[in-house]
Amino acid sequence: MDNSIGYRTMDIRTDEIIARRTRRQRTTAIIGAALFGLVIWSVDVTVVQDTDWERIGSLGEVMESASQFAGIDFSLFPDLLGPTLETLLIACLGTALGVILCVPATWFGAMNITPFAPITYPLARLMMTLSRSIHEIVWALFFVAVFGLGAMAGVFAIAMRSIGFIAKLSAEAIEDIDPGPVEAMRATGANGFQVMLYAIMPQVLPQIVGTAIFEWEINIRRSAVLGLVGAGGLGLVFFRQMNTFNFYGVTSVILAILAIIFLGEAISHMIRRRMI
Amino acid sequence: MAVLEVRDLRARYSARGPEILKGISFDVEGDDFFAIIGPSGAGKSTLIRCINRLVDPTSGSIKFNGREVTKLSSSDLRYARRDIGMIFQEFNLIDRMSVMDNVLAGRLGYTGNFRTLFRMFPRKDIDHALHLLDRVGLSDHVDKRADELSGGQRQRVGIARALMQDPKLMLLDEPTSALDPKISREVMALIKEMAQELGVPCLCNIHDVKLAMEFCNKMIGLQDGITMFAGPTEQMNEAKLDEIYAMEVL
Repeated sequence: MDNSIGYRTMDIRTDEIIARRTRRQRTTAIIGAALFGLVIWSVDVTVVQDTDWERIGSLGEVMESASQFAGIDFSLFPDLLGPTLETLLIACLGTALGVILCVPATWFGAMNITPFAPITYPLARLMMTLSRSIHEIVWALFFVAVFGLGAMAGVFAIAMRSIGFIAKLSAEAIEDIDPGPVEAMRATGANGFQVMLYAIMPQVLPQIVGTAIFEWEINIRRSAVLGLVGAGGLGLVFFRQMNTFNFYGVTSVILAILAIIFLGEAISHMIRRRMI
Repeated sequence: MAVLEVRDLRARYSARGPEILKGISFDVEGDDFFAIIGPSGAGKSTLIRCINRLVDPTSGSIKFNGREVTKLSSSDLRYARRDIGMIFQEFNLIDRMSVMDNVLAGRLGYTGNFRTLFRMFPRKDIDHALHLLDRVGLSDHVDKRADELSGGQRQRVGIARALMQDPKLMLLDEPTSALDPKISREVMALIKEMAQELGVPCLCNIHDVKLAMEFCNKMIGLQDGITMFAGPTEQMNEAKLDEIYAMEVL
């Protein structure tokens, strides 16, 4: 008797388990089908309907269009030296300006040193987010409108775009310091500025310098395209080659960009390895 | 007159938090080496940090050389702190600076912001620092970085830094807890010797009762923020110690 009751309850449990598994399988199938439909729809809207198929033509014609870039315009190289240097300088000056501008954001954004947390902390977070969520091209458009065409707009665009990252990581470094030296410096009668200089800076400086160099490396990449909107550097040459249909020249510019990016990576790697 | 008079000192870290110090009173006089003993969590660290207001007490009075410390403005508090040297359990040195710069940091309270920025300390400060480093046995390590030194050496830098302030009172927060027993005794002996030489009274948190009995002339025993014993070291005995440390057994 006991046994049969036992089996019956087992039966019910088995049914329950099977029902639950079927339900789960069905849900998975529905979600899968919906996702698949969504992908198909996206491809249709963005690729199928939005592409000028007449202009692309056959596969051979596509290859031909691409092969227009398969060459280097060596005659362009002498004219690339100036813009290449300008691109590097925009990255350097932009990063330097960014480091200076990020001081208030870092100071306000580190919970343990922010002067008046309820106001200054959110303010700093807002500055960091604003800096990072606006694309460098958009910053450049803004500064071209403010300063006119030229490298200065590029320097400011790079600086504004750099604040967020450097300030965020620096503020986090400050939040992670060992509080012991801070206590020791306060105990000697040091004022806030002295505590910052003696107890906080030595602990975070290597990390801040490392972050700034990393950002500088990224900024070389960014400054290479800023010319597209008239903010100086290689981007402008790139744009001009494109507009005059000199596709070999475009490849030359890309090579120049690659060269300075490699240079930047090598220098950044060297400095950071030596510091750690 | 006592250098330090503490009366009915109470402290809590937050308005609704537990009271850490529940009415502590004691006097430290000119030549005292005054120990605060008690189990972990008794409030020793809080008590010593109330003296130079690294922690603000909630009520009670602290008179340092006749001046009420608890009511000082922030700039007056900095002036008062210059006269109170402090030595820490974890040394609290600036690792990336030289031994010399660490000792000179003891003069920050007397140094302007501009001089601090370029580390321009007057010649007499550097002379004094060299003299102190020689006294604590580190004259060969002046230019080393602080993080190159051993624990005992690091605490000696801490001692030199505190003495660099020309203090009228020394606060020692578990100065030997991070050191091995032999070095602990050496460091305590050095502190006591220098303090007596310079006529500076010391107030010392100490976990190690044997060291306290050996080096201190007066002590208070804390348990859960309450004074369980106060008096000359000679009056302390096993039974009273057992009572103070009873909580720790649990």
